[in-house]
Amino acid sequence: MKILNYTLTALLAVSLISCKKDGKTSESGKDSLTAKKDSVVIPEIYKEYYGVYTGEFAGMEKMIDESDGSEYEGGSYKRISLKINRITKDSVYGQSIVSGNQRPFRGVFNETSKSFVLDEPGNDKTDGRFEVKLNGDSLTGKWNAFNKTAVKAPVKTLKLTKKEFVYNPNFMLDKDSNLVDWSNPKEFVEKYTDEETGKTESYKTSKNRVASEAIFKLNASKQKLTEKDLKNLRKLDLEIIKNSVFARHGYSFKKETYRNFFEQTDWYIPVSNNVDNELSPLEKENVALLNRFTKYAEDKYDSFGR
Amino acid sequence: MLSTRRNTAIFFRILFIIGFTYFFWLMLKITLEYIPLDPNVSFLMIKQTEVVQRPEYLIFFYAHVYTSIFVLLSGFLSIIRKNFGLRNFHRNMGKVYIFLILITAAPSGIYMGLFANGGLFSKVSFVILGFLWWFSTYKAYQLARQKKFKEHKQWMWRSFALTLSAITLRMWKVIIVYLFHPNPMDVYQVIAWLGWVPNILLIEYLITKKQI
Repeated sequence: MKILNYTLTALLAVSLISCKKDGKTSESGKDSLTAKKDSVVIPEIYKEYYGVYTGEFAGMEKMIDESDGSEYEGGSYKRISLKINRITKDSVYGQSIVSGNQRPFRGVFNETSKSFVLDEPGNDKTDGRFEVKLNGDSLTGKWNAFNKTAVKAPVKTLKLTKKEFVYNPNFMLDKDSNLVDWSNPKEFVEKYTDEETGKTESYKTSKNRVASEAIFKLNASKQKLTEKDLKNLRKLDLEIIKNSVFARHGYSFKKETYRNFFEQTDWYIPVSNNVDNELSPLEKENVALLNRFTKYAEDKYDSFGR
Repeated sequence: MLSTRRNTAIFFRILFIIGFTYFFWLMLKITLEYIPLDPNVSFLMIKQTEVVQRPEYLIFFYAHVYTSIFVLLSGFLSIIRKNFGLRNFHRNMGKVYIFLILITAAPSGIYMGLFANGGLFSKVSFVILGFLWWFSTYKAYQLARQKKFKEHKQWMWRSFALTLSAITLRMWKVIIVYLFHPNPMDVYQVIAWLGWVPNILLIEYLITKKQI
């Protein structure tokens, strides 16, 4: 027993010492890193071009006609933001963000032609090269995918303007917005009786969800929402009221439904794929309430129960 | 002629038993959603205003949920009027049914009706339903004690028709949502009435026309 005790103490001592050692080495490593950063100051130039450029990201992609299954070329439009964070003599740093996909880029700035060539890292199949030209506040040009076969639209055009991203709780969807969710059609079979022959035929058709006017009235960034406010709303309304909060904070939506709704406004500037920490306490409370009601709508709306 | 009539009676009896068993199973699953005790699941997810502001709400709610499943079962077992070889089975099941409704299920139902979803329109319905439920059950109890068994049976049918509104209300909901996709509280206002009014009308029809 005694021997065991001794060995244990010895082991404990050794492990303690080794811990200390580890701590020290990592600390010194950290020191050297910061020191290095301090010692080389790279001069930044053209700070006036820093900022967020937002606008249309358009390309032609192959689409399939739902009625006869034939392929055709159709236009795809998304809202993209390019963030220019740093311009030095030989490098440009920033990020691109489109439909929830935030990618860093690095490139060069040509002073005479005022144009950028910006490359995404290349380890994602959607990465590519931006070639854009600055003209006043507008940034236009094109994007080429590195891997042309991996993406639907390998060549896209950009038409961006510089916009100041500012959070404003008052931003709401425009009253004349299109309320239809075109991206989630629900298929169902409908029956049709021919009056002359009396034959009944069934055919497939699809229905789209439609939001209600409530999405223009309830602002989850400004008012404390109550259960009473939400009880009579359908799932789509709840989701849009909730995601208006995230849109105000510049969240870049992965889901097409929300992109289509918020891209109808001119205030929506996607700048980040995670804004959770930006939410105000009121917004957090409302989002939790909205999540609860969304879950209830999913679980209970059409099932046997209340 | 007589035998066809008897056959249809047997047919409806079997249909009733199968139908009830299926829907009782669904009701049991709904009840089990509240076990273990969690004040924020299922129906309570949209009732947090009451849960937080009225400490007694949960007590009435659980009293209603946990007893009602036994009300359904005991009511069903009594209404088929068989003793299954057990002494006083019908009588004892009936007692369970009556006392659960009179003491717990109906009063808690009336309380919850006061805070029902769907505003005044559905609140009125649920409160009336609660009172009628209590009254018809009490009446049936009294008549049994007075040994007026024909009338006892009629009042029990009324009481059980109202008990079954728990099932018919939810059936109507599925049908209406499937057909019209209305907003949730618009459905609720409709089913609040549709759940029990047709039931009681059907029973009154059967009592007067078919002399059951």
